[in-house]
Amino acid sequence: MGTSVKDIVIPSNAPKSLLLLKHADYIVSYGDKKDDYEYVMTEYLRMNGMYWGLTSLALVGHLDKMNRSEVIEFVLKCQQDCGGFSCSIGHDPHLLSTLSAIQILTLYDAVESVNTDAVVRWIKSLQQTDGSFYGDKWGEVDTRFSFCAVACLALLGRLDEINVDKAVEFVVSCMNFDGAFGCRPGSESHSGQVYCCVGMLSLAGRLHHVNADQLGWWLCERQLPSGGLNGRPEKLPDVCYSWWVLASLKIIGRLHWIDKNKLIEFILACQDEETGGFADRPGDMVDPFHTLFGLAGLSLLGDTTVKAVNPVLCMPEELLKKSKIQFQYL
Amino acid sequence: MHGRLKVKSTEEQIEAKKKDREKKLLLYNGAMSKIFLKKQDGELDQEMLLLSGEVLVVNPDVYTLWNFRKETFLELSKCLPGEQLQKLYQSELYFLEACLKKNPKSYGSWHHRCFVMDHMPDPDWKRELELCNQFLQLDERNFHCWDYRRFVVHSAKIPPEEEFEFSLRLINNNFSNYSSWHYRSKLLPILFPDATQPMGVSENALLKEYELVQNGFFTDPDDQSNWFYHRWLMGRGNQTLNINCFYVSREVNCVLVSFTQHIQIGKKTDLKLECNGQTMPGTVWLNPNRTSQPSCLWISF
Repeated sequence: MGTSVKDIVIPSNAPKSLLLLKHADYIVSYGDKKDDYEYVMTEYLRMNGMYWGLTSLALVGHLDKMNRSEVIEFVLKCQQDCGGFSCSIGHDPHLLSTLSAIQILTLYDAVESVNTDAVVRWIKSLQQTDGSFYGDKWGEVDTRFSFCAVACLALLGRLDEINVDKAVEFVVSCMNFDGAFGCRPGSESHSGQVYCCVGMLSLAGRLHHVNADQLGWWLCERQLPSGGLNGRPEKLPDVCYSWWVLASLKIIGRLHWIDKNKLIEFILACQDEETGGFADRPGDMVDPFHTLFGLAGLSLLGDTTVKAVNPVLCMPEELLKKSKIQFQYL
Repeated sequence: MHGRLKVKSTEEQIEAKKKDREKKLLLYNGAMSKIFLKKQDGELDQEMLLLSGEVLVVNPDVYTLWNFRKETFLELSKCLPGEQLQKLYQSELYFLEACLKKNPKSYGSWHHRCFVMDHMPDPDWKRELELCNQFLQLDERNFHCWDYRRFVVHSAKIPPEEEFEFSLRLINNNFSNYSSWHYRSKLLPILFPDATQPMGVSENALLKEYELVQNGFFTDPDDQSNWFYHRWLMGRGNQTLNINCFYVSREVNCVLVSFTQHIQIGKKTDLKLECNGQTMPGTVWLNPNRTSQPSCLWISF
């Protein structure tokens, strides 16, 4: 027995054009409902959620709709004594929320308002002898954390503070038979991890480790008849993979290997006409995570109503042009 | 938030849901403020386990609470006798099973399980392997569970032969189990090593795999898993490091060397230029971008 192809059918009445303003309104109103069940229950993702929401707004040119000083004040309150940032006040620091915090501060040109030396020291302390990174002091290892560490340091202009050679060696040791990457050595390939590893190698200037044709084949095979992309073979399509897969393809110079028009059709169909925002699939509930990756995907696909997005850091390109960060592309 | 269908509800349903959520919100906020207060006061005790457990069983992604539980366990290990500690860890494994049944894809739950197994006085690894079998039966592609299985196999020193057999069972059951093909690609070089082959796997073993994967795509030629594995079996290994081309330009007074692989001269690899048996001193090698980043092409300056 085999697995039949898992896919969806786009409903005929699904949205076909970009509802730009509605998305801005959706993000702004999401941040207003701080006592909502949904909002409270996702507290463990707050810092990431703020990055997703603020970057969405920046990409549609409406960052001014949020209260800058309120946001920065919150981020500052989340920096812990060790230097890392927690997802929210009272929670523990983690690399996942630390990258989001640095990205938010970069969006607002406010990195200098935090103790950057402490952030760098903390990130350094999480690197292990094999080059991998712990997510926090409890020792979980994942290539997502390698990306977070390197991306943070690149944004802070301090990449030389860690052992980049070792960090690259670890990421390369997570490469699989299909040319793609997993969480740890031995782990199965996953598009999200591919994005992290390829992004990390781009920032480190070591993309030559990637077999671009082999990886490009695996990535473009993520496209299903509906036009949407899945994260692994035999899985359902999901808007967030429009980012993980597409950004990876862009970095390795193989973006033209997928059917762009069909993917655009799929992403647009995931919008909610009533509330604004994007869902994982047409007809599902929207959230800020899929909203950012829907917009960023459309930007990579050439939609000029959305600002150009940087494929490695998922931030507005115009903002990063001012920085000295070196991005390698194939 | 994945795969949650947006449904139109009646006003009655909306009202009922609102009430239910208000209740849950109250419980959550109440528990969280108590937990944070206890943490502030350094009260890492059984009550901490109870309170954080109430939240985690509903929302296992609240990573901070798993951290508090770990801290509590480390604290309790200082004073509890081994037998009681073993029991406490055992009950943590039962608790984790409940959390994993509710959300089998929570990073926090699986990592906490690794922590428990690494810290309990007398871990039962065979039982963990059985747990992996159960969870993989529910979802044969759950990569969290596959990763936990690799952790168990490593810690319990399960022979790779047994795991190879296990992966075959899964493939015989469903040949498009990509996770299982992936597992085989990792086990083959361990079980049938052959340094003379490009992929480090003996040809005989590769031929057997070829036959197995062929059965798959003869049954369903559209299945991706088989083709990716097939491509790997047919693929060539890495090229060995060699010089492709060497060029001396008298006009610009430099030497160009092209290699079969990307290398980084000056870091680990050195490139010496000899002329009539004499080493040319002071040769500086840079790539075409005039940096020392890895490259196939190097130019003497």
